[in-house]
Amino acid sequence: MKPTGSVLGYDSAPPISAPLRFFLSAPLFGIVAGVLLVFAPSLLESRWTPGALSITHLLTVGFMLMVMVGALFQVLPVVCGAAIPAVRLTATVVHVLIVGGALALAGGLLLMKPAVLMTAATLLGTGFAAFLFAAMIALLHAPAARGSQRDLRLALIGLGVAVMLGLALSLTLAKGLALPLLTMLELHVGWALLGGTGILLAATSWIVVPMFQITPPYPATLTRYWASLCILALTIWSVATVFDWSAAKTALSWSLVGFAAIFLIATLTLMRQTRRNVPDASFRSFRLGIWSLLGGLACLLATGFSDHPSLPVLTGVLVMYGGFVSIIQGMLYKIVPFLAWLNLTQSGIKAPNVKQLQPEAEARRQLMVHGLALAVLIVAVALGNLGMVRIAGLLVMLEFAWLASNMLGVIRAYRRARTGTTTTLGPGQTA
Amino acid sequence: MMTDITRLMTHDHRECDDLFASAENAAARGEWDKAGHALNAFAHALETHFSAEEEILFPRFEAVTGMTEGPTRMMKADHRNMREQLDLLRDAIAQKDSSAYEGESETLLIMMQQHNMKEENILYPMCDQQLAPERTDLADKLSGHLDGASK
Repeated sequence: MKPTGSVLGYDSAPPISAPLRFFLSAPLFGIVAGVLLVFAPSLLESRWTPGALSITHLLTVGFMLMVMVGALFQVLPVVCGAAIPAVRLTATVVHVLIVGGALALAGGLLLMKPAVLMTAATLLGTGFAAFLFAAMIALLHAPAARGSQRDLRLALIGLGVAVMLGLALSLTLAKGLALPLLTMLELHVGWALLGGTGILLAATSWIVVPMFQITPPYPATLTRYWASLCILALTIWSVATVFDWSAAKTALSWSLVGFAAIFLIATLTLMRQTRRNVPDASFRSFRLGIWSLLGGLACLLATGFSDHPSLPVLTGVLVMYGGFVSIIQGMLYKIVPFLAWLNLTQSGIKAPNVKQLQPEAEARRQLMVHGLALAVLIVAVALGNLGMVRIAGLLVMLEFAWLASNMLGVIRAYRRARTGTTTTLGPGQTA
Repeated sequence: MMTDITRLMTHDHRECDDLFASAENAAARGEWDKAGHALNAFAHALETHFSAEEEILFPRFEAVTGMTEGPTRMMKADHRNMREQLDLLRDAIAQKDSSAYEGESETLLIMMQQHNMKEENILYPMCDQQLAPERTDLADKLSGHLDGASK
């Protein structure tokens, strides 16, 4: 335990460039995903096409993991009192490695080139290991963990397992290692989506939903046991999958879907009790994401009863693009303007308020395009209509470009405030 | 482990949130009189919470741990920023400017909740731990201060 001022205050917040570089890079991968849909719409015919694997990782590694890692630079000090050591250097190294790794992974999967896949595995493995190592050092010095603090640690473990399985899969594809590919792939997907991203979403939601949407708290049993039980069930499910105990595996798969559903329904129930009467764009996007995740679970269950090849693709679209991407975009609209505001205020500069930094109307319009892109993509996949996939691709390109442009707008307003105002340092404010 | 000070002060944060939402909802509907009253109630609750910390809890924490330049100084700086933000909300109500109110209110909410996260997850548990021998007594005093001011 290290009960010092640096643990708690504004001064343990990282420099604004640490999270922002991740946030600003992420939409570029979304734009590339849109380009792929426009030029190779048939990639969505099955989840197994190289193009489908590539686009999945553009979204999961290039967009989702990128933003999650960036956000953790900010969240770990505030929620856990854990400041990442040598934060500028760590952020620079991790960012470069993950950007390079994500590009190589998408390219390597698209072209099925072993050398490129090996490069991706090296870059991503090193980058994520460096981040985990820095986070671990920070957390070792942090006060004891409970609730969200413990669950953030569990999410880091879940993401770590998912990345390691991903590395093993890359090696298997690139070097022909004698590992059971399909089994490992199943484990990789389970750990990445539930063990990593799902638990990170829950750990964040325990705090963010009641505090920012002003709702009652989550039931204590949920915040206390949900994440640990998920990790436990995932672990036993993994063992059952590896040893092919089919009855146990089926039962555990159902329980994992059940866990996810319980969290999602609890979240929607709380959100309905919000005390804030005016839902903003970010709230709507978060809600769309939760509903889409529920839709994804329904599709996943349907794959147990039907072999239709579009069902797994639809599951992926609903969970990753409709679910996690919507939620992350909603959160970015809260985090980015606040970071700009906080940084200005800490520097003793009179900051424009968060809605002046990020006009609500712009966020709403961008998120409407995102919603439209999702709807078109769902119909396109369900009907197997290539023309509609192309239209969805154009909308995906547009919405991610718009997201980037909105975030750059915040940075421009931030720069204007920095250069246009004389600094007046208030008492108790540290430069 | 949820303990006395953490539970008590966290509960008070949520009560303040409730009053915050009432003011925001009234301002969004353009009911300026109601918004003014609701904002006053919120500001009063917030100020009572701040004074409970600054006059009762923080001095004990500083005395026992010897950390006067540490976390409590940071929390007091946050309090100052929130008081300034409240002034901006009062201005917006005086000018019946709902878009200014919306922006300043959202800014205050994010600032306040980031502050609350630090207190609820780190500082209060630290207080419960460092001030264990006098915890119950201190919680009674804090509770009396919060209740007394709300009457």
